[in-house]
Amino acid sequence: MNFIKDHIISSYDLSDGKLENVLSAACPTNIDFADLYFQYTNSESWQLEDGIVKNGSSNIDSGVGIRSVSGDKTGFSYSNNFQYENLLSAANTSKCIVNSGQDKEIKIGTEKEIRRLYEPISPLSYKEDNAKVEFLKDIDKYIRSKDNRVDQVIVSLAGVYDSILILNTDGIKAFDDRPLVRFSVMVILKVGDRRERGSAGGGGRYTYEEIIGKKFGYEFADEALRQATVNLEAVDGKAGAMTVVLGPGWPGVLLHEAIGHGLEGDFNRKKTSAFSDLIGKQVASNQCTIVDDGTISKRRGSLSIDDEGCETKCNTLIENGILKGYMQDKINSKLMNVDPTGNGRRESYACLPMPRMTNTFMLPGEYNPKEIIESVQDGIYAVNFSGGQVDITNGQFVFTASEAYTIKKGKIQEPIKGMTLIGNGPEVLKKVSMVGNDLKLDDGVGTCGKDGQSVPVGVGQPTLKIDEITVGGTQV
Amino acid sequence: MKNKDNSISDYKNKLQKIINKLDSKFDYEFNMSLSDGYSVTARSSEVENIEYHQDMALNVSVYKDYQKGSASTNDLSEKSIQQAIEKAQNISINTQADDCQGLPESQYTTQKWEDMDIYYPKTLDIKNIIDLTKDCESSAFQKDKRVTNSEGSSFTFSDNTHMILNSNGAYGTFDSTDYSLSCIALAEQNKLMERDYWYSSTRDFDALESSKHIGEKAAERVIARLGAKTIKTRVCPVLFSPEMTSSLISSFLSAINGSSIYKKSSFLIDKIDKKIFPDFVNIQEDPSLSNGSATRPYDSEGVLTQKKDIIKDGILKTYLLDTYAARKLKSKCTGNGVLTNILVSSKKPEANLLQNMTDGLYITDMMGSGANSLTGDYSRGAFGYLIKNGEIQYPVTEITVASNLLQMFENIVSLGDDVDNRNRIRTGSMLIDNITIGGT
Repeated sequence: MNFIKDHIISSYDLSDGKLENVLSAACPTNIDFADLYFQYTNSESWQLEDGIVKNGSSNIDSGVGIRSVSGDKTGFSYSNNFQYENLLSAANTSKCIVNSGQDKEIKIGTEKEIRRLYEPISPLSYKEDNAKVEFLKDIDKYIRSKDNRVDQVIVSLAGVYDSILILNTDGIKAFDDRPLVRFSVMVILKVGDRRERGSAGGGGRYTYEEIIGKKFGYEFADEALRQATVNLEAVDGKAGAMTVVLGPGWPGVLLHEAIGHGLEGDFNRKKTSAFSDLIGKQVASNQCTIVDDGTISKRRGSLSIDDEGCETKCNTLIENGILKGYMQDKINSKLMNVDPTGNGRRESYACLPMPRMTNTFMLPGEYNPKEIIESVQDGIYAVNFSGGQVDITNGQFVFTASEAYTIKKGKIQEPIKGMTLIGNGPEVLKKVSMVGNDLKLDDGVGTCGKDGQSVPVGVGQPTLKIDEITVGGTQV
Repeated sequence: MKNKDNSISDYKNKLQKIINKLDSKFDYEFNMSLSDGYSVTARSSEVENIEYHQDMALNVSVYKDYQKGSASTNDLSEKSIQQAIEKAQNISINTQADDCQGLPESQYTTQKWEDMDIYYPKTLDIKNIIDLTKDCESSAFQKDKRVTNSEGSSFTFSDNTHMILNSNGAYGTFDSTDYSLSCIALAEQNKLMERDYWYSSTRDFDALESSKHIGEKAAERVIARLGAKTIKTRVCPVLFSPEMTSSLISSFLSAINGSSIYKKSSFLIDKIDKKIFPDFVNIQEDPSLSNGSATRPYDSEGVLTQKKDIIKDGILKTYLLDTYAARKLKSKCTGNGVLTNILVSSKKPEANLLQNMTDGLYITDMMGSGANSLTGDYSRGAFGYLIKNGEIQYPVTEITVASNLLQMFENIVSLGDDVDNRNRIRTGSMLIDNITIGGT
């Protein structure tokens, strides 16, 4: 099924001829390119707190984004409904970027067959509402029965069905249906006056069938409990530069912040990134090979086609430490005279597409993780993170650990309180001296923000050792 | 915009009609927002983007027997509204009963609000706006030749209308406008680039800072960052700029929000009437500030917003409660389904905090999400300036700032008189002792 194709196009009587007229209105002779992005999004969320599921919400957002591009100039407008007249009017607004021009004849191509990385289905209709509520209650009961120190449990379940149609003046006509589900659990434990938190979750481009009634939710519940238990024991950590071993999986947020954003094509075309003009140069130790791969089946960061209709790819960003390429959308690849990489993404029809990451991770190296920890005399081992941020111009980036331990003489010691790590993107990966053989991708909870637009992404990495990075503990 | 009044009363009538036909066993609340506007970005002296926005959203909440469901749609046709109501009803039937759930009982809005001094519609010629935006960027380049690049200058405008209607008789609507002009400048020295920005944000176009001033200020700020060095790890006094102080106060405000309190996910539970800040610190909420960026007459549930002391002489006077949180905590609703303007003040504001510092850091930028709302533990990345004997020595990069929010509030030495009026949180800079700085 595709909601746009099966319902919108017919209900609003949008023949190819009418759509050609809209594209044509957005693309007079002095405009290089125009596209239409039809979107219908149905999302819902359910949350349990204080032992009850006291509210749920359901949202419908739909519309058509119309873009007119001339060189590096873009005009943009959108319509919240699908009436032909409103689309024509939005198209006329979008071409405001240029003064005038003759009408150009536009032909819409035949529908593009797309390679499907996930089923074209809506996750929302896959379980009765009642089953979702019962599932959340059961997780709550499970957690409370396992530990009498539990002070609060918050469990949530969210699903999105995103149906899109992309039409452009290059003749692309492509539909995509994107399911996305996410489960998360947060536990607060209390002992005396001390209260600490643990959280876990996961999801991907599939339906609730994969979550409700499966082991999945209970394993994340166990994980959240385990983290909260560890944090109850955590002591104040040290501040300053030290050796840091990062665990596999989610700590890959390092790569997302340290190099990912800096390798987005728009910043490099404008030369505002610390990585501008570094293609072919050494930007990481030779053990580091990093890819952005939008093609992994059913993963949160994956897309069958990007939001400009280009097939996503597995793009090598850094190979054995050498910078190989940037992530591109259509406009930036054209202006930089390279091929699009399938990284043109947008939060919704109401926003312009930009080069964005999909699933960004480091390929495995040769070391056993145990060997990596044993090589550290004095440092920290950080295994869980809560997020990060980067200034792509000076390369400064941070990421915040939510579970970490000290390492003394090759052995993991006591847990330490959460802290922020700060480093410089083009420098930090040169200090990666050991890469583990245990590549793991995250569980599917990542959301990336850029220019106010949020998109789902994935990260991953094997265990790795950074010889020196500044750590924000409180002790000196 | 001249048809705005008509369209709001049309929507009101439409919703009222829908309510009248609905199952009266349910209670209903409709929140509607309409927003029109555009943004213009200029870069390298050319227009880069022109984006037109026209957003509408309707959120409906339904209650029956203490069960609640919500749904939203951006299609305001009668059919879509009906579908959203049905969806919300279906959800409510499946949620569990909670006797704190339900519409507000009193103190709600029943009128259209005017003269809030936040609505300044103006017909702007797009050509003039493009010129204004280009001028803003050029003045950054003209200010200093070390400004070598930019992320452009942007102008944004929006004309907003909000309306609330519920089946208990609450009704309110108000209009507002937002204008902003900003510039992001880049500078380079020894092949190392820095970026910084400046912006002006107002309700009234004519109150915006001049494009020249904004561009020049962005240039000055980025030039000041050039030549940044790392420093050794230390514990020292830190002067937080008004913007960074606002971020600390924002962590405080989210920790006293009703939902953090009843979920027990805050480091400030059981702290009413306890001392959190030094004696000289006061924090007030003022929902009716003229030109205020968060001024509004009623909150997200239609309850009238209230001017009040949050911190009085350093003591916590209230949590920020919406109807649900108030019932849950057996307290009175404070009209805080939203948070309006916050004023942070000192009984002895100081004019020259930086000049009076003998040894420490002036922090102007922080990064990352390292504020733990449950424990108050604080650890973030930062950028700033090393201060000795009242003078800036050099910019400092790649450092962390760490402490615990409760300790930081207790260790406040002084507040500056350099209040930043652009934001919801209006505060000057803040000097705090005993902060751990992680460096090399």
